[in-house]
Amino acid sequence: MNSENKAILNKKDLNKVIMRWMPMAVNTYNYQYQQAGTVVYSLYPALRKIYKNDDELQASIQNHFNYFNCMPWLAPLVLGATLAIEDNGGIKDKEIVQNIKTSLMGPLSGVGDTIFWVLVPTIIGSIAGYMALENNPTGVIAWIIINIAFMFMRFKFIHLGYNQGIKLVTSFGNKVALLTECASILGLIVVGSLVSSVVNIKIPMVIKYGEVSMAIQPMLDKILPALVPVLITFGIYKILKMKKLGITGIILMVIIFSMFAAYFKILA
Amino acid sequence: MLSIWQVIIITMLAFLVPIDKYGMTFGLRWPIIPAFLMGFILGDMQTALYIGGTLQLMSLGVASIGGSSVPEYSTAAIIATTIAVVTGKGMEAGLAIGLPVAMLGVQLDVFAKILNGFVVRTSQNYANKKDFGKMIKILMVGPIITGLTAAIPVFLAISMGPEIVNKILDITPSWFISGLTIAGKVLPAVGIAMLLNYMPVRKYIYYLFLGFFFAAYLGVPILGVTIIGLIASMKYYSENQNKMGTTGTSSDNVTNVGGLEDE
Repeated sequence: MNSENKAILNKKDLNKVIMRWMPMAVNTYNYQYQQAGTVVYSLYPALRKIYKNDDELQASIQNHFNYFNCMPWLAPLVLGATLAIEDNGGIKDKEIVQNIKTSLMGPLSGVGDTIFWVLVPTIIGSIAGYMALENNPTGVIAWIIINIAFMFMRFKFIHLGYNQGIKLVTSFGNKVALLTECASILGLIVVGSLVSSVVNIKIPMVIKYGEVSMAIQPMLDKILPALVPVLITFGIYKILKMKKLGITGIILMVIIFSMFAAYFKILA
Repeated sequence: MLSIWQVIIITMLAFLVPIDKYGMTFGLRWPIIPAFLMGFILGDMQTALYIGGTLQLMSLGVASIGGSSVPEYSTAAIIATTIAVVTGKGMEAGLAIGLPVAMLGVQLDVFAKILNGFVVRTSQNYANKKDFGKMIKILMVGPIITGLTAAIPVFLAISMGPEIVNKILDITPSWFISGLTIAGKVLPAVGIAMLLNYMPVRKYIYYLFLGFFFAAYLGVPILGVTIIGLIASMKYYSENQNKMGTTGTSSDNVTNVGGLEDE
């Protein structure tokens, strides 16, 4: 069967898929299908080309209407690989398509979220943020350029995924654990530095014993620089770990706490 | 006072924020980038950059991951820059109006994702009927819904006029405003705590301390610390590459066997 099917997708078809994927991506996100709507939207022209028969096309589309959720910059790898399988094997391989999607989306999201949603924006964001406070837009402009570069990366990924096909699972699967560890190490070092540089909170109170007055903050600085930020961060981390409050709840809590602190002049 | 064109352009920018956040990612999801664009629209780059920078640092580490809904700091940036420039009352006034709207963004985002459920279900129904043209067309409603989650609140906030804004600010107590300033300094801790929540803190706690040591005691700037981090992770990679490499070959053989059976 396989040899009868000749792969018919060319580079242009794959580029077309990514041109449809990029602007849509998570824009059809919902709790039932997650990104499936966009998967169908972006793969449609390519699938139409592969399946001349309407019944086969419908079967393939219904297969893609299944739950799919992947970090949208790395999802093109998965889309490329699934297209390679359907292009070569046709509709009879739809189980493989489903399996490759569900087995890749988790690990890819793990690495992608850490690097592209957390590490990069944290590093560039804090640099651009501090520059902007000094009325310097260089960091912002650099960030926009970097984001545009990441768009081209997504084009590369769909071709890479297509060329690897089913091999993507093994070739990527071996590296994913190692890459995750490396990203975690880099991330933790950067996050460690953020506590003292970004959480810029001080205690302005001055204790008075009769004639002698003592400012609290310089004393604390001698014990541990950034003691207050460390304690606050640790406290919020513990609250997050308890999983009683969502992120919005915690942000609201911080705002209310800050207003108390402002009223009683505890923090500045 | 904003001109009608400014209101239209600002509302359009707000419409693009969530669409870009979930799509192309030109960068509108990070508040400093829309703030930078607001600098051009309002003709006051200094205020825009200052507010954008503050909100950027405030929101560090707070990322919408895996379809989760988080406060929309970028709409806060758009509203805060507008209010600050129009009323001339500075960043605190801008944040007092902008931040509550950003918090409201969470609910709107959830609502949009529920609505999108109907959109995709309708699309699937068209697929069942083999009406592929309509199946694709209905999906384009998705970005419109997401865009409106930011466009509507921003339009309402910037078009209510400086009199109303001033009235709101007048009845706002001073601890509310200065509390927001403090919150701006404490909120990065929430982002950092969120980051730590994703990361294997227990396994590599010494790397966390290392980063803290470099910044707090030696005053190394973040780019410098990033380079140290890159060196540490490259070292880990090269040390563990061989270990992973051997398992790689064995499973490659497995695939080859599978491939032969296929043919």
